[in-house]
Amino acid sequence: MEMIERYIYAVTQKLPQSQRADIAKELRSLIQDMLDERVVDREANDQDVEEVLLDLGSPKQLAQRYRGVNKYLIGPEFYDSYISLLKIVSLSIVVAMGVIFAIQFIFDPTGFFDYLGGFIASLVTVIPQGFAWVTVGFICIEYFGGVKAEDIKLGKEWRPSEIPPIPETKRQIKRSEPIVSIIFYVIVIMMFLFSNRFFGIFVFEVDQDGRFSTVVPFLNEATFSNYLPFIILVLGLSIFKEALKLISGKWTFNLVLYSTFINAITFVVVSIMIMSQSFWNPDFMFDLVQAGVITEDNEAYGTISKIWDTATLVILATFIIGLIWDSVNGFIKVRKQ
Amino acid sequence: MSDAKEHIDKLMQELRRGTTTIGVLSQLWEPQYGYSLVSKLADNDIHVEAGTLYPLLRRLEKQGLLESKWDTNETRPRKYYLLSETGKEVYDLLCVEWKSIVTSLDRLIDPKGGESNGND
Repeated sequence: MEMIERYIYAVTQKLPQSQRADIAKELRSLIQDMLDERVVDREANDQDVEEVLLDLGSPKQLAQRYRGVNKYLIGPEFYDSYISLLKIVSLSIVVAMGVIFAIQFIFDPTGFFDYLGGFIASLVTVIPQGFAWVTVGFICIEYFGGVKAEDIKLGKEWRPSEIPPIPETKRQIKRSEPIVSIIFYVIVIMMFLFSNRFFGIFVFEVDQDGRFSTVVPFLNEATFSNYLPFIILVLGLSIFKEALKLISGKWTFNLVLYSTFINAITFVVVSIMIMSQSFWNPDFMFDLVQAGVITEDNEAYGTISKIWDTATLVILATFIIGLIWDSVNGFIKVRKQ
Repeated sequence: MSDAKEHIDKLMQELRRGTTTIGVLSQLWEPQYGYSLVSKLADNDIHVEAGTLYPLLRRLEKQGLLESKWDTNETRPRKYYLLSETGKEVYDLLCVEWKSIVTSLDRLIDPKGGESNGND
């Protein structure tokens, strides 16, 4: 009888949330009716259940019939995830722009209205871009990752015993995890897009122009724009990975495979980037002295200099551990049954 | 030969798509649940699989042609479907259309009124 529940779950999972409960109830009653008719007086066994389910057709096929014809860019199967991702992305864009606005204001309180104008203007231009990228991503998922036409072709053989079990809570992915990650990545992208100066050491001190502070950037301002597309690529891929987790809702072998693949690309791009000499600010130590944080004969100078020199390796190591952990964690979750 | 069969399968599938709807509507002046409808149609040589009929009933309900109600008094809860007011009106008009199609096609298939269809 457990197979019936698996079958019903497999069908309704691919249908809009609002109809799931009702369709499940109706299917359950239908399957019982079909079983009764088949067995007449004796108890139904697994063999009977299998035959009834085979009569009904594969879960994918039945779900497809409930949904109707495939005439959309983003179908009902992904619509809910699409809408929630749109909300997440626009929320994080607003938050990121707000943070940037706040930082600008702290740096230079006199420019409040300029920054406010800039804040509103960038909201108007950036939010539609966010929408466009999310939409493009989902169109790709719909056409390459969704229900493949061959799978639901009539007459394709399938076995009821092949229907996956209802996922255990341990394999399920909490919605909050990918949502928080997506918000984080969007904020980082926005900050990179806006200026590389947010990534550095903030020095709060009133200078002669009445401005409040300066920043000693970590990155090389001259070459930064060359690296920007790669940075965005990496962060974009990470967002895509989190979106897949959000849509899937559970750890599956394929999901782990995709995210490992994305992790590998991320790792290669990031290593090439941060290992190259021109990525980091070549005058970092000099700028620090200029900004008055340290003096050259200071003890701290040696320490910071050492940290700065080994930073690349430390970051790289942390990065590898993080990415490997992400994949290993996925594999562990998949195997938990 | 199997080529012809393949074509027939495809064409019959298209043809049934519309006629099944008429058959379903015709039986729903009285409330019926999905599986009883399957047998009732089968008794009249209209063979519809449950996997086709159930989604169809739901679609017709969504379009407003059918109304539905859960009956939980029996041992097994069942969803009963019934023609709505719109559904009744649509069904009557559909029957008129259907009859006119049958008449026209009969004339086309058999222009001399049954003497010979020229295919023998």
